[in-house]
Amino acid sequence: MKLDRRTFIKSAAASSAIAAAGSIFPGISFADWKKQEGASGQISWKKAPCRFCGTGCGVLVGVSGDRAVAVKGDPNCSVNKGLCCVKGFHVVQALYGKDRIRKAQVRKGDKMVEVPISEALDLIASKIQETISQTGKDSVSIYGSGQWTIPDGYVASKLFKGCLGTNNVEANARLCMASAVTGFMTSFGIDEPMGCYEDIEHANVFVTWGNNMAEMHPVLFSRMLASRKRRSDVTVIDLATRSTRSSQASDKSILFKPSTDLAVANAICYEIIRNDWVNWDFVNKHTTFHKGKTNIGYGTEDHFKFKDKPQDITFEEYKEFLKDYTPEKAERISGVSAMDIKYLASLYGDPTKKVTSFWCMGMNQHVRGTWINNLVYNIHLLTGKISTPGNSPFSLTGQPSACGTVREVGTLTHKLPHGVVMNEEHRKMAAEIWDVPLANIDPKPTYHTVEMFRALDRGDIRFMWIQVTNPMITMPNLNRYRNGALKDDRFIVVSDVYPTPTTDVADVILPAAMWVEQEGMFGNSERRTQHFDRIVPGPGETMSDTWQIIEVARRLGFEKQFPWGEDEYIEKIWEEYRRFHAGPKHNMAPYALLKKRSGVQWPFVNGKETRWRFNAKYDPACKPGSDFDFYGKKDGKAWIWARPYEPAAESPDDEYNFWLNTGRVIEHWHTGSMTRRIPVLHRAMPESYVEINPEDAMDLGVVTGELVKIISRRGSVTMKASINGRGVPPRGMVFVPFFDESYKINEVTLDAFCPISKQPDYKKCAVRLEKV
Amino acid sequence: MPILSYLALPRDGSMDRLCADLSAMEYCEIIPADNQEVVVLVTDTPDEQTEKILQETLKKLPSLHSLSMTFGHNAE
Amino acid sequence: MMKRTDKRIGCVVIAFGLVCLSWMSIPVSVQAAPGIPPDFDSKGEKIYQRYDRTPLAAMTGTDGTRTLNTFYARRQYPGSPPIIPHKVARAFSGDTVKCLSCHDRGGYDAELDAYAPVTPHPENENCFQCHVPVRTEKLFMENDWVSIDPPKLGRSMLGGSPPPIPHSLQLREDCIACHTGPGAVAEIRVEHGSRGNCRQCHVPQVTTSTFERNN
Repeated sequence: MKLDRRTFIKSAAASSAIAAAGSIFPGISFADWKKQEGASGQISWKKAPCRFCGTGCGVLVGVSGDRAVAVKGDPNCSVNKGLCCVKGFHVVQALYGKDRIRKAQVRKGDKMVEVPISEALDLIASKIQETISQTGKDSVSIYGSGQWTIPDGYVASKLFKGCLGTNNVEANARLCMASAVTGFMTSFGIDEPMGCYEDIEHANVFVTWGNNMAEMHPVLFSRMLASRKRRSDVTVIDLATRSTRSSQASDKSILFKPSTDLAVANAICYEIIRNDWVNWDFVNKHTTFHKGKTNIGYGTEDHFKFKDKPQDITFEEYKEFLKDYTPEKAERISGVSAMDIKYLASLYGDPTKKVTSFWCMGMNQHVRGTWINNLVYNIHLLTGKISTPGNSPFSLTGQPSACGTVREVGTLTHKLPHGVVMNEEHRKMAAEIWDVPLANIDPKPTYHTVEMFRALDRGDIRFMWIQVTNPMITMPNLNRYRNGALKDDRFIVVSDVYPTPTTDVADVILPAAMWVEQEGMFGNSERRTQHFDRIVPGPGETMSDTWQIIEVARRLGFEKQFPWGEDEYIEKIWEEYRRFHAGPKHNMAPYALLKKRSGVQWPFVNGKETRWRFNAKYDPACKPGSDFDFYGKKDGKAWIWARPYEPAAESPDDEYNFWLNTGRVIEHWHTGSMTRRIPVLHRAMPESYVEINPEDAMDLGVVTGELVKIISRRGSVTMKASINGRGVPPRGMVFVPFFDESYKINEVTLDAFCPISKQPDYKKCAVRLEKV
Repeated sequence: MPILSYLALPRDGSMDRLCADLSAMEYCEIIPADNQEVVVLVTDTPDEQTEKILQETLKKLPSLHSLSMTFGHNAE
Repeated sequence: MMKRTDKRIGCVVIAFGLVCLSWMSIPVSVQAAPGIPPDFDSKGEKIYQRYDRTPLAAMTGTDGTRTLNTFYARRQYPGSPPIIPHKVARAFSGDTVKCLSCHDRGGYDAELDAYAPVTPHPENENCFQCHVPVRTEKLFMENDWVSIDPPKLGRSMLGGSPPPIPHSLQLREDCIACHTGPGAVAEIRVEHGSRGNCRQCHVPQVTTSTFERNN
C-alpha cells in the first residue's frame, strides 16, 4: 500500500501496544484511539459497472472524502455476484495516473499549448463550421467507442446525424462487434443475444468458439467452472486456433486452422442432419432456409462496395449444400479430426443436453464474421437449442457499452437510435424526437470505420473528433491511417484521459472525465443497462464527453436541441432516448429504477425484465399463443443460412510463411492506456511479446526473451519471443497481444474486413519472422 | 527509519507530567489510557542515530517509571 | 502481546504434513433446505466446513513469520487481492491444483522456508483471475492513487472482550483460513483456534454510528 506505509506501520505499532496493554491491564480503555476509527470505518460504497470489458460486473467503489480508495464486487449484481477480476479489483487506480490530462491543449505550430477548455471548445465549433462551409457536411466526422456512455453516444448521434446532417458517425465497436450485429440481423432481424448469463447455470455443454474466456471474460469463465464443479454433467469444449488458459481449463481442446471454423460449423450441421438429430418440430415451425452471394471479397481496396442478395432455398437444397462439408472433407480443410467433429455434433445433437456456445473476437474479427455467426446460429436452430435456459448461442462483447451505446443508440453510419437512416419511418421518428427537420437526416450511409480513416487519408474527411478510443494503436494497417491523420489540413480533436499515440496526432486535446467522475450508463452483453452516479470529482478542467458535445452543439447554434442543465442532463437525455425504444421489443427501464438497481435488462415490460427473448414463456413481445416467435423477421421465423467456407484475405505463402494472430491478455484491457497505469497490472505484465510454437522457435533458433522481427507486407515490429508461455500457437502461427504502444503490432496487420459487417480481421494475416 | 511502540508507565502521580513531556518531544506520539495510568508511546525517527539519542533522552525522563517495547520496525 | 518464536518444531511439521496428505477428500457440503440458498448468512457454513476438516495442529501452530507489514505490502488496499510474492512458472496458468496444493490447507514449504497462507475461498478455481505475479518493479507511469488505513487492531470495547470483525466478509467468510495456524499473520492470529464457532463472539462491525431511538 503506497499511501502511507509509514502511517500504517505507526498505526500497527500503536495497535500492538494497545493490544499488549489490554492483556496486561484488564479493563484498560483508550477512548481517543477508538474515536479515530481510521478511514476504513468511513468508506462509503457506491455502485457502478466496472469500467473495462463487456461482461458488466457490478462493483462497489469505496469512497473516502472525494477519492475512490477501494473496490468490492457488488454482491447484489447478478452478473458477478461479488466477484471481480484483477482489473476490476484495481479499477479505481486507473483514475489517478500521474499524467492525467487535466487541461485542454491546442496545437500551436509544433507544440501543444494548454488553454482554458472554453477556448478549445470555441476552436472546435469554428473548425466544424469552417470545414463544412469549405468541403461540405460529409467532411466532418465523429469517431467514438463502446466505452462511450449511452448519453455520450446519444448526443453525438443527435448532433452529427440530426443537426449537422452527416452520417459520419462511427465507433470502434465496428472493430469488435459489427459481425455480431450483422449476424443477428441476418439470422433474426433484430440485434443482441436472446439469452442471458443465467444460461451458465443451466447448460450441460459449453463450446467456446475462438474465445479465450479465461483471460477475456474471466468472471463469466469462473461462473462456468463453478457450474461445472457443482454439477457432475457439465462439459466444456474449447474450440480455438491456439492453446490458451481456456484450453487448459476445458475438458477438451480442439484446434482448427484459421478461418476454417466455417467448415467445422457446416460439418456439425451435416452430422446433425445425417443422424437426424434435427428438432423437426422447431425447424418446421420457426425457421426458413436461405443462401447469399459467395466469393464476396475482402475490402482491402478503397471504395469497396458489397451488398448481399439473399435467396430462399429449400431444406433439400441446404442439405445438398452441406455435402461439401462431410466430417472427412471438413477435416481436410480445418485440421479438426472427423472424429472430433462428430463428437461436437453429438453434443449439440443430444436432445438431453443443453448447449451454450460462447464467442467474441475470434468469430467477429473474421473476414467472414457475419457468416460464421450465421453458421453457429444454424446449429442452435437446427437442434432447437435456443431461447431457453441453458440453450444459448451467446455472442459476448469486449467493451462496457458496445451494446448499450453503439448497438442500441446506433452510433454507426447507417444507424439511428431506432432503425436505420435508409428507412423513412425511422428518419421521421428521429426527426420528431430530436426536434430537427426531416430533411436534415441524410438517407444515405457514408463511411464505415475503415473507410472513414481511408477518407481521412484521401482528404474526403478533413475534421475528425475522436472520443474514448485509441485508433492510432488499434487501426489495422496502422501506418497508412496514422500518416493520413498527420497530413496538413486534417484537423483532429481527441477527448481522452491520458496521453496516447492518438493524442499525439491531435490538434486539440480535451480533458475528459473518466468513468465515475461523471454520471452515465453502460449496456453490457446480456442486454443489461447499468447506471452509475458521479461518485468522485474529476481533476482539473475535465468534462464528460456528453457535456463536451453539448457545449460544442450550443456554440453551433443548437441550443434548442441541447437545452439541459448540468445537474439534470443525464436524466433528461435518458428519458428522451428511451422514447426511441418504447414497445415490448426493446422497452428500457426508467431512470429512477436504473439509479436504484445494479443493472436492469431490456426489454423491460410491465415492470419485468426479459431474460430469454423470442420464447413466449419469458418474452411478452411474442405473439400470443406462440411458443417461439422470432419477431425480428416479418414472418416470425429465423433464417438458416447456407454459407460456404472461404479462406482468409491473406494466408501464409512461401515468402510470408506464418499466420499472425493478435489479441489481449488478462492484465490489460485494450490498448492499456488505463491498465498500464495501474501498478499491479503493469508489474504483472510489463510488455508485449510474440508467442511462437516451440518447434518453430527451434527452427528459428530463438529462445524466450530473444528478439524476433515480425514482418508483413505492411510493416514490421521487433519484440521478445515467448515460448511455452501464456499461450502456445500451433506450428506456423504467432500471436501478439496489442496492448503495448511500444510495439504497434497493427502496423503489421491487414485492413481486410467482412464485406457484410465491415469489421476488420485482426486474427489472420501473413508474416515472416527473422531472428534479430 | 525505525518505528517503535512502547507501554510507558509514569512515576506515581506524574501521569499528566509524563504526557506533557512525551508530547513535547520530537518524533514521539502518545495515546494515553483514560482509565488507568498507562501511556502508549509511538516513536518514528528518521535514522538509527536519532533513534539512539531519543532512547537516551527517554531513559533520563524524570516522570517516566518504566518503558516496555511492544513493537519494533526498521525499514530499509 | 504477540508471541513470536523463531524455532520450528520438526515433529509438528511432520505431523502436520501427514495430516494434510490424509485430508484429500472434499468435504461434503450440507444440502440446504429447499428454497434456502446455500450461501445464506454470509456463507457462514464455510467456517464449519473448514473447522471440520482442519486438524487441530494446523489451527494452533504459531511458528509462521508472516506479519501485518508484509500482509498489507502485498495488497493495494485492505481487501484487494494480494499479488503472488513467490516465483511462478512463466506460463502460469493459475492451475488450481497447483495453487491449492499449498494454499488450500497450508503447511510448510521447504523451498520458500515458510508456511503457506490458506485461502479463504478455495472454491474459486480461476486463481489468476485475481492474483498475478510481479514481473517488474518499474512502473509504466507513476500513480497518485492513495488508499485508506487498514482497520486498526486492539478494538475490543472492554479490555479482553472479543473484538468485532473489522473487514467485509465477502470472499473472506472463512475466519479459520486466515486467523489460525502457522500460516496466519502473527498480529491477527488467534490463540484459541480450537474453537470453531467464530461468530459466536466476533460480530461484523457494520456501522460506526451509535443507536438512537426514532421516536
